[in-house]
Amino acid sequence: MSRRIRLSVVPARRIFIGRALALGFVFLVLALVLMLLGLNLGTVATLVVTSTFGTEFGLENLALYMTPLLMTGAAVWLALRAGLWNIGAEGQFLAGATAASAVGLFLPFPAFVTLPLAAMAGMIAGACWSAVPAAGRAWLGVSEIITTLLLNFIASYLVYYLVTGPWADRVTGAQVSSERIHAAIPTIYGVVHWGGPLALAVVTALGLLLGRSRFGYELTLSGSNPEAAHYAGVSVAPRLFMALVFSGALAGLGGMMEALGTVHRLQGGLAHGYGYLGIVVALLARQSALALIPAAFLMAVILNMGIVLQTLQVSASSVLAITGLLVFAIAVSDELAAYVRLETQK
Amino acid sequence: MSLKPRSLLTRRSLLAAAPLAALPLTAQAKPRFAPIAEEDLLVAFGHTSPINDGGWSQMHDKAIRALKAHFPKMRSLYVESVPYSADATRLFRQFVAEGAQMVISTSNYGDFIKDVADQAPDVGFLECDGNAVTSNLAWYYITHWYASYVIGIAAARLSRTGRLGYVASFPTSSVIASANATLLGARSVNPEATMRVISINSWFDPQAAASAGAALIDSGCDFLCGIMDDPGYLRVAEERNVWAAMWNTDMRQFGPKAYVSSVVLDFEAYYRETIAARIAGTWRPKGTFLTLGHGVDRDSWGARVPLAIQREADAARDRMLAGWSPFVGPIKDSNCQIRVPAGQTMTDMEIFHWSWQVEGVSGLV
Repeated sequence: MSRRIRLSVVPARRIFIGRALALGFVFLVLALVLMLLGLNLGTVATLVVTSTFGTEFGLENLALYMTPLLMTGAAVWLALRAGLWNIGAEGQFLAGATAASAVGLFLPFPAFVTLPLAAMAGMIAGACWSAVPAAGRAWLGVSEIITTLLLNFIASYLVYYLVTGPWADRVTGAQVSSERIHAAIPTIYGVVHWGGPLALAVVTALGLLLGRSRFGYELTLSGSNPEAAHYAGVSVAPRLFMALVFSGALAGLGGMMEALGTVHRLQGGLAHGYGYLGIVVALLARQSALALIPAAFLMAVILNMGIVLQTLQVSASSVLAITGLLVFAIAVSDELAAYVRLETQK
Repeated sequence: MSLKPRSLLTRRSLLAAAPLAALPLTAQAKPRFAPIAEEDLLVAFGHTSPINDGGWSQMHDKAIRALKAHFPKMRSLYVESVPYSADATRLFRQFVAEGAQMVISTSNYGDFIKDVADQAPDVGFLECDGNAVTSNLAWYYITHWYASYVIGIAAARLSRTGRLGYVASFPTSSVIASANATLLGARSVNPEATMRVISINSWFDPQAAASAGAALIDSGCDFLCGIMDDPGYLRVAEERNVWAAMWNTDMRQFGPKAYVSSVVLDFEAYYRETIAARIAGTWRPKGTFLTLGHGVDRDSWGARVPLAIQREADAARDRMLAGWSPFVGPIKDSNCQIRVPAGQTMTDMEIFHWSWQVEGVSGLV
């Protein structure tokens, strides 16, 4: 006789095998679709691998994709530690980018003053953008999923208003863009800027802080079992509030890096879905902050693959479909990995 | 893929090179765009919308496909719907990574293309509606304002109310030039004519264009024009029994009764000359205007446009083809300030960079 039970703590090895299978499944589906489109798989694979990993431009692209993904991934991940779904990283990212751009555009300081100020402004704006949903969730029990999501649209339209109206570029006639921001995050190599290493440092610090601190413990406790947290003397509401506000600050800092490091303008398409892709990155990373790094790397490879595929007339939206399929496959595989067959004796 | 080693471009070397920048470009280096065999040439095109959008990108794609007949061994690749975001930079970088010697964007991408051009100095970049010329980046554009002026004359004669409606994308200079030229044409025969503008923040959004068209008709306009890739507002004009003029291509099938004309585009000859020059090694970055009759024109008139009106508008077109410019001062802006003094003629470059709406236009800037 045997029966299946669901493990509450799943061994990492089971998760890993499940995900490898899921990833294999996704790439198999992708291969099938490409074949149906009449593309030669060998050619596509060679082109993707050589132009992503074999050229300076490809490697730089990966680094530039990873930077915002790490920040929004970290933002969503932090909220998830407290059991909260921050679907609003996109809006917080834009709020941060807007505030940072304001500093860069209108304050007449040299770069070494502007950049830290812009980073502060970005974090504060991101934090403020999530503060309203955070307060609603912590003290009034309003679902943060809805409120954070809806604020994304407000942020997006606010940016569109600014860059087509009061902040619109009148110098070069760039569309839906502010003027070029002259303070730029210094580059390390090619177009890769210091935002990348900073994002890696933030993720590492986040892992250390949450893993070892009292705040981290109380946060996790408040998220996983608010009642128990309450009886343990933790005031749950302020913890939840702080979690979402810090989450917004991280996304806002990501927006600052994108605006002043990569795009150099405030621009309508700036957020590029990084806020939503951050959810995927956080889901892939599960409990570990350091796992955000390989997760962001995988997303960056998939996004860059999308760039390569577009030169073969595969639509950009197919990449979104691949991403969706990946999340789906991994969610299923994680769930299946939790089930074990238990041999029972009569 | 070998790319220029970046380590050469340090701040120190740039500072050291600063005094050299004053020298003319030609004095600097070896010829950058040496002759190339047709079979070795890879040209990459980036389009702003799908190539079957029925408008702007379709007209470019048509011209690009015609290149095949002249350069059968040339290889080309393209990407549609290149977003106006950092992903545009990535796509242009990908073109370079795949080995393109010539990258052509059929729409304005500003810094997104210029940054890549600066990083890949041996690749020739060409930007439609661009505004920068560097050692390897050039721009080209059509002087569509002459065709718009011709259509404006017909608009004023056809409109009973003298109120024209304009469906705009963004308040950028090419759109401002298009709207201004249309109204100046209209005012040349009806000084009372006015134009109301609605911007829909897109070049291709049939739903929004149709709503904007309907709103303009509701506010009293009986002639719709605009700068859209799709026939969205033409359908509305057809239903509501008003006139409409379009852009890019002949769209009369979508509103045969309402159709007046269109600013039609033809990039074939220009692309052919450009590729031939690149192969021969004579291509050099510069700004190029495609003029009336050579890349841009008004479409043949709609079936219901009376012959007398066609003749009147075409008389102006004939004069322009002979070298006359209608963009002569005094021209006032919408605050009634004279911006072009009497007797002064606006150059194509000034029109291309038009940043204010003329008297009678409202809602654009």
